[in-house]
Parts: sequence; C-alpha cells; structure tokens
Amino acid sequence: MNATVQHQVYTEVVETQKVTSKKSFEELIANCWAKIAPSWPLKNLIAVNPLAGLEDLSFESALNNAAAYFQQADMPTQMQAINRESIKWLQAFFDDGQATIHMPNRHLGLFKSVISLIKYDKNLYKHDLRILDDLLEGSNYSELELIVKLLSLLEVEKEHHETFMTLLLTTLPGWSAYIRYRTDWPDKIDAYHPFSVSKQDYLAFRILLTYLMWPDAKQIIQSHNSFNDHRKTKETYQRIQHNDYYFQQQLLNKMCVDAKHSGIIDIPKAQFIFCIDVRSEPLRKAIESQGAYETFGFAGFFGVPVAIENQATGKSHASCPVLLKPAYKVTTENRKNQQIISKHKDLHKKVYQSLKYNSITPFALVEIMGVISGISMMVKSLFAKHSSWAGIFNKRKDKHTSYNLENFSLQQQVECASDMLKLIGLVENFAPIVILCGHASSTKNNAYASALDCGACGGRPGGPNARIMASIMNSKEVRTELTKIGINIPDKTVFISAEHNTTTDDLTIYDEIPNSLQELIKIIKADLRVVQHKNTAIRLQNMGKNRKVKSVQAAALHAKDWAEVRPEWGLAKNAAFIAGPRNITQGLDLEGRAFLHSYDWQIDHDTELLNTIMTAPMIVAQWINAQYLFSSLDNVAYGAGSKITKNITGKIGVMQGNASDLMNGLPLQSVYKSDNEPHHIPTRLTTYIYAPLDYVKKVIDRNQQLQQLFSNEWLHLFCYDPILKSTYTLQRSLTWKQAH
Amino acid sequence: MYSTYFNVDNLSLAMIALVCFIGICVASFSARYLKGDRAQGNFYIFLGLMILSVCTMVSTNHLLIMLISWTCSNYLLTRLMLHKSSWIAAVNSAKLAKRNFILGTTLLSAAFVLLYLETGHTSIVSINNSELSAIAGITVGICIVLAAMTQSGILPFHRWLISSLNSPTPVSAIMHAGLVNGGGFLLARFAPLFLNQGILLNTIFTVGIISAIVGIIWKLMQNDVKRTLACSTVSQMGYMIAQCGLGLFPAAIAHLCWHGLFKAYLFLASGTAAQESRFVSDKPPTALHLLTAAVCSLLGTHVFALTTGLNILSGDTTTFIFFVTFISGTQLALTIVSQKILAKYSVAIIATALAGYGYGLSVNLFEHIIAPLNIYQPQSLNILHIIAMILLTGMWSTLHFTSKQKGFVYPRWLLALYVKMLNASQPHPKTVTAYRNAYQF
Repeated sequence: MNATVQHQVYTEVVETQKVTSKKSFEELIANCWAKIAPSWPLKNLIAVNPLAGLEDLSFESALNNAAAYFQQADMPTQMQAINRESIKWLQAFFDDGQATIHMPNRHLGLFKSVISLIKYDKNLYKHDLRILDDLLEGSNYSELELIVKLLSLLEVEKEHHETFMTLLLTTLPGWSAYIRYRTDWPDKIDAYHPFSVSKQDYLAFRILLTYLMWPDAKQIIQSHNSFNDHRKTKETYQRIQHNDYYFQQQLLNKMCVDAKHSGIIDIPKAQFIFCIDVRSEPLRKAIESQGAYETFGFAGFFGVPVAIENQATGKSHASCPVLLKPAYKVTTENRKNQQIISKHKDLHKKVYQSLKYNSITPFALVEIMGVISGISMMVKSLFAKHSSWAGIFNKRKDKHTSYNLENFSLQQQVECASDMLKLIGLVENFAPIVILCGHASSTKNNAYASALDCGACGGRPGGPNARIMASIMNSKEVRTELTKIGINIPDKTVFISAEHNTTTDDLTIYDEIPNSLQELIKIIKADLRVVQHKNTAIRLQNMGKNRKVKSVQAAALHAKDWAEVRPEWGLAKNAAFIAGPRNITQGLDLEGRAFLHSYDWQIDHDTELLNTIMTAPMIVAQWINAQYLFSSLDNVAYGAGSKITKNITGKIGVMQGNASDLMNGLPLQSVYKSDNEPHHIPTRLTTYIYAPLDYVKKVIDRNQQLQQLFSNEWLHLFCYDPILKSTYTLQRSLTWKQAH
Repeated sequence: MYSTYFNVDNLSLAMIALVCFIGICVASFSARYLKGDRAQGNFYIFLGLMILSVCTMVSTNHLLIMLISWTCSNYLLTRLMLHKSSWIAAVNSAKLAKRNFILGTTLLSAAFVLLYLETGHTSIVSINNSELSAIAGITVGICIVLAAMTQSGILPFHRWLISSLNSPTPVSAIMHAGLVNGGGFLLARFAPLFLNQGILLNTIFTVGIISAIVGIIWKLMQNDVKRTLACSTVSQMGYMIAQCGLGLFPAAIAHLCWHGLFKAYLFLASGTAAQESRFVSDKPPTALHLLTAAVCSLLGTHVFALTTGLNILSGDTTTFIFFVTFISGTQLALTIVSQKILAKYSVAIIATALAGYGYGLSVNLFEHIIAPLNIYQPQSLNILHIIAMILLTGMWSTLHFTSKQKGFVYPRWLLALYVKMLNASQPHPKTVTAYRNAYQF
C-alpha cells in the first residue's frame, strides 16, 4: 500500500469514524478487557483465577475458549515480531526501580511516551514511518479515535473488531493481565503511579505496533476461528471432574457431622483463632491434640481492613483482602532508637547502590566486594545452615512495633470485634487466653515470596492485623460496648497476637503477657514446641525428605536456604472450603487441603453471617483454588514456568530467560514435585456448609455471582442440614439433590 | 616449573582456584536449585567436564592442548546453556554462542599455526621467549586479541553474551565468572607478545574501553535483572581488557577474579531483585558536598597508593587505576556526606580510607601472585588514555547532574540515542520467547 492510497483510506476512515458511535466502541473495548483476569505484581502476589474473565461461561466451555485464546501452540511470525517489540517497550515503561537510566517521557503515559520514541526506532524503519506522521497529524488525537482509525486501516470487518482486539490482548496475556491490575485493581501506590496506563492506551499501543509491522494482521482472526480442540478440552474436563468426584467421596465419608454438637470443653486452656488458609488446618489439629485447646478459623485479616503506614518511611500498604478497600489507616510507632538504627542501617545499602548503579565506580566496587561475595556465596551454598549471619541486617524487627489506632473510632472497633466473634461463633466460653494468629512465610532469594504470605492481608504478613485486633479486643471501652450487645468477655481473658511462620511452623507470640498468665503461657509455649515437631515432620514427609533428620531444623533450613526452590508447598493441594463448627471436622485428617471457616448457624438468624462467608472468604478460596488448578494444568499458559530460568523484570514480574511475556501465575516448583510429577492435583473447590438448607438457599437466591459460579460449575456446593440430618448437593440447574 | 605439556604457574593456579571455587559453590547451590529438574544429571556431567577442561586449558604449555581444551570448554558451555532442548529460544541462544565460539576458535587456531610456523615451538613458554617478525607479531597479536574479544563478549562480539540468559541461573553464574574470563586469561598468557608492541596495546585498550563505556550505559538502561548483569559483564570485561592494554596484566587478572566472584554471587542471588529497594536521590550534589567528597577521596587514594606501593605521580598508565580509585572514592564519600546522619564527615573519611585500603590489598595480592610472570609493565601515558578518562568523567558527572532535573525536556538526539542504545542492547530476536507457549520447561 503506498502513501497516497494510505491517505485516501485514511480520509475515508475519518468519515466512517464519525458514524461509529463512540460509546458503543468503549463498550467493545470493555468487552475485550473483560476476558482478561488481573495479575498482581511481585510485591503482593494475590491468587486469582486466570480464567476469571470467562466465569460467565460454563467451566467446560471456558476451558475450550481459553484453549483457543491462551494455549495456542503456535503464532504467526509477524505477530511474534510485534510481541518482541511490545515486550521491549513494556519492560522499559513499566520498570519500577530496576533501571538507572529510565525511558524518557514516561510521564506522558504508555501510548504517548512510546509514540515519542518509536520515531527513532530502527526496528520499525523498514516499515513506512510516514504512516505514523499521517496518523498523528495534529496532536489532538485521542487513543480511542486512533484505535478506530487503525482498525479500519487494518481492514478488520466490524463484526470482527472485538475478536481482533481481544486477540491483541491474549497474544501477550501476562502483560495484559498486569495492565488489568493497574487499571482495575491497583493498590494505593499504583493507583497514583506517576507513569499511568489505561486500557485504551494499551490497546492503541498494541494496534499501532501491529499496523506498523503487519498490515495483514487480520489474518489472525481466521486462524483463531479455525482453532478447535474440543477433544482435548473434553479430556481435561473429564479428568478434573473425576478428581473432584474422588475427592468429594473421600471428604463426605470422613465428615463426622453426626458428632454431638459438643462445644462442651468446659472452658479450654486457650483458644486460637487462625486464618482459614489451608496451612492452618494441620496446625490446628496438632494443637487440639495437645490438650484442652479450642481453635477457630477466620479470614486472616481478622476483619480489620486497614492500611498500615510505616511512621519512619512514610510508606503505607493495604493489609486486607483485595476485594475490600482499606477503611482505616493505622500507623506504626517505632521506638526512637530503632529509627536511628534504620537510618544507619540503610547507609551501607545506599553507598553500595551508589557505587553499583553508576559509571566508573563499579570497576572499583567489584574488587572491594569480590572477597566478601565469594565468602558469602560459599557460606550460603555450602553451609546454608549457618547462613543466618549473612542476613543479620535484614531481620524483621517489628516485634517492638506498636500500632496507633487513632483513626479508628470506638464504634468501628466494636463493630469489627463483634463481627469477628459472631462470624466464628465465639460469643461465650472465653478461655483465659485467646490467641489471634496471623501467618507469614519466610523464604530467601524467592521472587514469589509474597505468594506464600497471607492472601487475606493482600499478600502480606498477617501478624500486624492480629496485633491490631488483639489490642482492640483488650480495650476496656470495646469490651464494655460488647457487653451491651450480649458478648461478655471475662475480665481475666486476654487476647494475644501471634504469627504462624508457614515455612517453619514456628509460632511467634508478640504481646507481653500479664504475670497472672505467665504459668499458662509457659505450658502453651511448651505445647507449641511439640506441635512444631509434629508438623514439621509431616511437612518433611510431604517434601519427600528423609524422616530421620531433625524436622524442626530441616524446616528452618528451608527458610534460610537461598538455593531452595520449594521452601514450602504453600496452598498446594487445596480442594475444600468448609464452613461450620469445628466439631464436624475435629480429629479428621484433612491433609492440609481444606480452608476451615468457623460458623455457627444457631446465632445466624438472618443468614447475614453465612452471606458474608459465601461472598467473601469463599470467593477468595475459589480464586486461590482456580489459580492452583490452572497453574498445574498448564504451567506455561497459566503458570510462570520453572524458577531456574526466571528473570525478574522491572521488579514487577517475571519473564523466562532473555525476554518473554510477563509470566503470571504460580511457578512450576509450587505445584510440581519435579518436571514430570505434579504435586497439586487439579481439583475444583468443594464447599461444604453446615447449616440448614434454607439458609444456604436464601444466600444463593440473593447473589447472582454465586448463582453464576455454581451453575457454571466453577465450584461445588454441599450442605449438611443439621435439622433434616442429611447432606444435599447443588446441581448445575441450581436445584438440590440429596448426596450419598 | 614446566614441561612440554604442562606449565602450572601462578596464573594457572589463580585461575584453577577461581574456577574450582565457583564450581563447587555452583554445584552445591544446584543440588537444591535444580532438584526435580529433568536435566539435573546432565548439568552435573557437563559442569564437571567443563571445569576439568578449563583447568587443563589454564595449565597447559602446549599450543595444541590449549586449542583443544579451549574448544572443549566452550562446547561444554554451550551444552550447559542448552538446558532444555524443547525451548526454541534456548536452543537459539546456544547456537548463537556456538557460532561465536567457532569464530574464536578459528582465530585462535590461525594464531597458533602462525606461531608454530614462525617459531617452530609448540611450547607457550618458549614462544613467549622468542622474537617474532614484525608482521607475524602484529598478525598473531590481532588474531589473539580478536579471539579474546569473542570469548569475553567485547563489542562487537557481545551479542551472544547478552542473549545467553535462557540458561539456568547457575549456568549464568559459572559462565560470567568462568569462561568469559577466557579472553583475559589468553591475553595474560601471551602477554610478552604484546608488551613490546605499543600499537597492539593501544588497540587492546581502545576496544576494551569502548566496551566498558557502552556496556555501562546499557547496564544502567536495562529493565530486567539478568540482562542488567549481562551488560555489566560486557562493561567489566571491557575494563579488564583495557587494563591489559595498559600493560597492567596482573591488575586485569585481579579484576577478572574479583569480578567473577561478585558476578557469580549476584546471579545466584538474582531472585531477590524484586525485594531490593532502591534508594534514589533526586537532587544533584551540592558543590560543597562534592568538594568535601573529593578531599576525602584524595585521602582514600593516598591510602590506596601506600597499600599498593604505587606512585601517584608516576605519569605512567597506573594513573588510570588512580583515576578509577579517585572517582570511586569521591562517589563513596559523596553518598555519605549527602546523608542527614550523625558524624557524617568522620564516617566518610574512615569509609574512604578503608575502601582505599581494601582496594589496594586486592590489587596488591594479585601483583604478588602474578609477579613471577613478569608481565607487569606500565606503559607511558598517552592521549588515548587521557581521552578515555575525560569520557568516563563526563559520563559520571552527566549521570549526576542532568537526568535529575525536574521537567527536563529531552532533546531529539537524546531520545534517538536512548532508542538506539535500547535496541542495541536487546538480545538476538531469535533468542526471545516471543509468545508464551513457545516457552518449555
């Protein structure tokens, strides 16, 4: 196509474009983006269903659709070239702290900054760049207009617009998913990111590159439409169905719903409230077996949706599920000498960085650092056990941090407190010690570290939330208010916060214990040590390690070792979400595969509590479940691939090798024992609720999202009705059937 | 102590120590890192053979053995790079490296054949002691320099190196700490051939310093951790080669070893890149701070001189080392005096002095080790060296003063330069995984 013809087409386009209604086009773009699930950056890796954009389809057809969009085994060479150029610019634009010399003009936003540079891009010279000048004539273009123009220039028929644009997103799915995060789910920092991006921005960028490099790009629609792999998806579907059925049979056989509603442990020595995370289940079981302990399961943010601001650095982060917006701001109060220490502590890093990311100085730096690097490398690799000295500066020293709750009114505190207690059914029989136990992992040299932290705290450690909730529960004013609504917490009951290290099964207790309880806490701590031994032994077995070694030390080694690619199994093997009193599951070996949410239907008169459970924690569990499911189903299309060739880009995500798509999802080592042997078995979530059937029906009737998820088979639902004494299961038609 | 086939001198020992040390660390690291990986067994076989081959290469006295072990080592490296043959991009990375090594081997063969024809010796010691005709000297020298450049990823032979990151992390670690150093070793091994040929030394210095400068710009521009490290290697290798060109072969060997350890560590630790928080100062330094820092650095440089026993005012090429020391000391002190901390001036003075001492020790150590080879011969300073110092200083101060201005409007040439450099530092297109499902583990 020569330039004059181009120009004619172009003027025609301008005419037709006026006809095209702007609004319908915006909708069209929204539809394209709806197929893309968001993907969080490395700083807080939130589990998400990679097919979340296809949840309006039945699970089986979503599998088929996704195969066409995300699992193509081949791609036209021209599209590959477009992807390479896209990756180059996206890497440069979205860099969040790797480069020292930055891409210029980033403040203009993605599209405009790239436009300002591709004029000089030799990789594009061979294509006629006059087109670019024609297109951008006059600076008053909007991205939307450009997209419309370019679609016409590419001669994409109107009925194919949506497919074509969707394909431009799905041919580079990881980056699209990151942009979906930036535009729809950003945290506070990314929401006000100085280098902005919008959905139209990104599409305009992709279409422009496509137009410049492959004028016949509409061919891609053909190859997409002809893609058909029904046979293979059918096989996959059947396999998953089989896995689900097998798991459900095991679970139903295990459940001891007939057990008397005991709750009769007179008054337990202590009560523990854990996160619903599947990693809490084995720990709870082990603790209960140590004596008169009662345990509960609740979302690990303990119902306090806070943003935690570090007083010293001024940085803040949300510590609550991404489904919620943090409602309260809490500031840390560091001790004064700690601030001074941290200022000096950073000095050596500053000096090191100023010499490393500079010119000339790295030449001298390597000679000074050579010996230190060598020794450090040797100790960490050969004597990982003793490597803790190397990390001496980086220890989390938040044990002495306290939280300032000024912005949190008494009324709000009472609400949070009563919500939590009611949701888990702990409104009487308080033990002298109630331990709120958040969780966090500890790993070294691990790009995916935040994926192992508490998802309910937005991919952060759960300790701070536990500490905030404990101080609320211990407040005299709060307790007085709670009494007014019928929750009497005895004066001698103390709430204590703790953090469960999911890598080592170590339980750190944060608060200072009153003297009267010193004896008791000693007993508890001793019991916890036994628990740690038991659990780490099971953990090692799951890791396929020799059981003879000292399990506690071996687990601790996983946390310290910079070469360890499987420090812990995270939430692998998760398969069930159980809401009900603990006695229906107590003593069962659920193999760390179940999210356990405490729930007592007898205090839930208006089904409000069940509604909360089914619309928040259960949904989060489904996201997690779907992420593990798809990452193990196809670790290339939906997972991140092997850790051994990963390459962190822009501090936001991971690529494979030299450069690739942004590899979102879980790495191979999180779901596979070895290259060939899966650890996680693709299973959809089975939800099991202990409540009258009417309760569950009411909740589902009220929620369209739940209806959609259940009728499309994204998860299964079982309900044990304690009145009818029978188990029911929800079918695709949303009718109930008695389960056997 | 040498025989027909072997010559285990201090240079050999230093190289063997380096390669074995890193080999052991990498092997131990990979026991966990590659656990469950289908190709872990092959990795160990090739790693073991490669270390053996490199040890042979650095301790032989025979041209043919050196050529064979050189070729073998490089072949084994490409096998290590090709960890999973189902991943096309990785296959292409290995191919690219292989093509580069074939070129290097060819050049080296040519040089060795010429040397043999010219001197009639196969013993490297004898060759180094014999006189070559001017033309043969130049030809052999150029061939060896080019071979060294292919091996060390010196411009324009850098493409394979910055396209080599499809290799597993431990392979990158041993590659950047091991075989890319081959170039420096080769030049040191045949140093006597170069030491009396000023033109060759100046050529070596020039190609080295170009790589050093361009590599550093690339490094600072990269957005992913591993390519940052690879571009940094291009620049560090450039500096190392440039030191050879200054006649300071022991300094080059020191640089090669310390850089090897440093870079291997950084590769193995590359999983932490996302957690590392960067401290960015957005203000250009004040004149007072700069001046104070320069004074601190003079002290540091003096300590360096005392430790190494070098003379600051010698007027020979050691001036270049002092120059690097001085600028680095200034940077170090500048960072400290720009902070708002207690007793910053005392801290700056002590830190700079200590750094000068540490740097001095590390250079000195190798001077002693390599001394018996008698390849430490500073040349007289010439215009090339001065231009290089001016360029480097310009680059250093540009980084400090321009990019930090708020509302800075980029001139067209700078935009064009950015794009040019960005494109030049991209990996070879065939080694990029251009669509997701092309990646295979």
